Amino acid sequence: MTSATTTTIGSAKLRLQDVSKTFQVRHGDDIEAIKGVSFETPENEVCVLLGPSGCGKSTVLRMVAGLEEPTSGDLMLDGHPIAGADRERGMVFQAYTSFDWLTVQANVEYGMRLNGVPKKERRERAAHFIELVGLTKFSQSYPKQLSGGMKQRVAIARTLANDPSILLMDEPFGALDAQTRWHMQELMMSIVEAANTTVLMVTHDIEEAIFLGDRIEFMSRHPGTVHEEIIPDFKRGKRITTKEDLIGLDGYGDLERHILKLMREQGGDDTDH
Amino acid sequence: MTARSGNSVYRRRWFEFLTPLGQPWKLILGVSIWVIFFGLWEIAVLSGWVNALLVPSPVNVLTTLYELFAERGFLSDVGISIARIVGSFAVACAIAIPLGILMGSFKAVEAFVNPFVSAWRYLPAPAFIPILLMWFGTGEEPKMALLFLGVIFFLITLIMDHTAQVRAELIETAMTLGGSRSQILWTVVVPAVLPSVLIAMRQMLAIAWTYLVIAEIIASTTGIGAMMMRARRFLNTDDIMAGILTIGVLGLLFDVMFRWLYRVLFPYLDQGAR
Repeated sequence: MTSATTTTIGSAKLRLQDVSKTFQVRHGDDIEAIKGVSFETPENEVCVLLGPSGCGKSTVLRMVAGLEEPTSGDLMLDGHPIAGADRERGMVFQAYTSFDWLTVQANVEYGMRLNGVPKKERRERAAHFIELVGLTKFSQSYPKQLSGGMKQRVAIARTLANDPSILLMDEPFGALDAQTRWHMQELMMSIVEAANTTVLMVTHDIEEAIFLGDRIEFMSRHPGTVHEEIIPDFKRGKRITTKEDLIGLDGYGDLERHILKLMREQGGDDTDH
Repeated sequence: MTARSGNSVYRRRWFEFLTPLGQPWKLILGVSIWVIFFGLWEIAVLSGWVNALLVPSPVNVLTTLYELFAERGFLSDVGISIARIVGSFAVACAIAIPLGILMGSFKAVEAFVNPFVSAWRYLPAPAFIPILLMWFGTGEEPKMALLFLGVIFFLITLIMDHTAQVRAELIETAMTLGGSRSQILWTVVVPAVLPSVLIAMRQMLAIAWTYLVIAEIIASTTGIGAMMMRARRFLNTDDIMAGILTIGVLGLLFDVMFRWLYRVLFPYLDQGAR
């Protein structure tokens, strides 16, 4: 209980307290994937889970989504315990999840259709978010006709149009080529500003974490736990819209060096074991 | 000098690894194997290498086929055979599609039904012919039952497997958008698996033809198979060959129909898809 003393600005939107997850293995000892994870995400902030592969950051995200049950600990969103997946926590995956049989427009309307939003409102909201991700020209296209980056934009628009309380993203740009990736990161920056959403995002890309994150929970592994909470103070009060803005700031290099050091210490090399 | 500039630089050979063939040549070669096949057959008969009574010439078979349709009412036999296939296959699909999708979606349904279905899959359908004849006599029922038994358990298994392969992320996306179980079943699982279901149907319909012929040869007075068995008694090999040809052409037509249906129903999938 003492470990959960992160800086609380007003009341936290999302709160994890002493969350653990143990996987049972048929032969041998159980694997403690996540142990004692505690952190808070204030409203309208972008919180990034960063760490070496195998630290369990995706598992934490899936538990927040309600797709995976924690072995112990509390997960609270807006003061309510998380019990299973629902529309409050919309998730964007690394793998493409556009529904092939629906047009871009119908994909973005999909969540609202599930939740009984009237047709007219659905149309308007979808059009708004499709414009936000810059796909207006493609609203009547089918996903098979789109590039990888465009498919991810459909997924982001679909999730935001459904008006979730928090947006969850699991390495959403991990499958994209470098150039598309930083375009998407910059787009994400403007979307977060325009849509005013709270975001919890998993990545292993240090630059992406510093660029998008208002706070970074750095996770170590064996077992996976929050090693250090990093708040990139040097960004405060600065308007950053491009990667160049970020790299030009004093303090960026120091923070990147610090995180790289953590990665080396915590990540190690899998072949060592 | 660029590599593309001259045909003279690159040799063109008939047998080349990893090199596609032009469309006209593909067509010419595809047709020529049939021309050669029928040509050799015709020559073999005309020159007396084979007994013309046992092996009628291709020309003879085609004339017989024309006579069968034009003068001997073969069309009603063909119609009966098609009706049997379509009828029993439709019943099999009506059960296999919903059941397979439920089994592939929910582990509890699979655990309950699959042990039963897997066991049946190892029982060859023709093994049931004697008992089916005792139960149903020689009417339409034993034929329909044989076709049904021969197809349904494989169809269920194929559809279950395809449903289980619907990507988890698609289902999880719908879950985090607030979808209920029935909503996800109808708006994600069913549309995602439908193209594979159609392919499974196409494959199993080909198997259904096999059982149809078995059923009609063993116990029937109508249908394509029955006509062929009648012809055997009178040593009318040309009739038998014409029957085989008809079955082949019908199977091909059904296959073409399914391919067409696939393109019409799922235009959002690339043309390149199977």
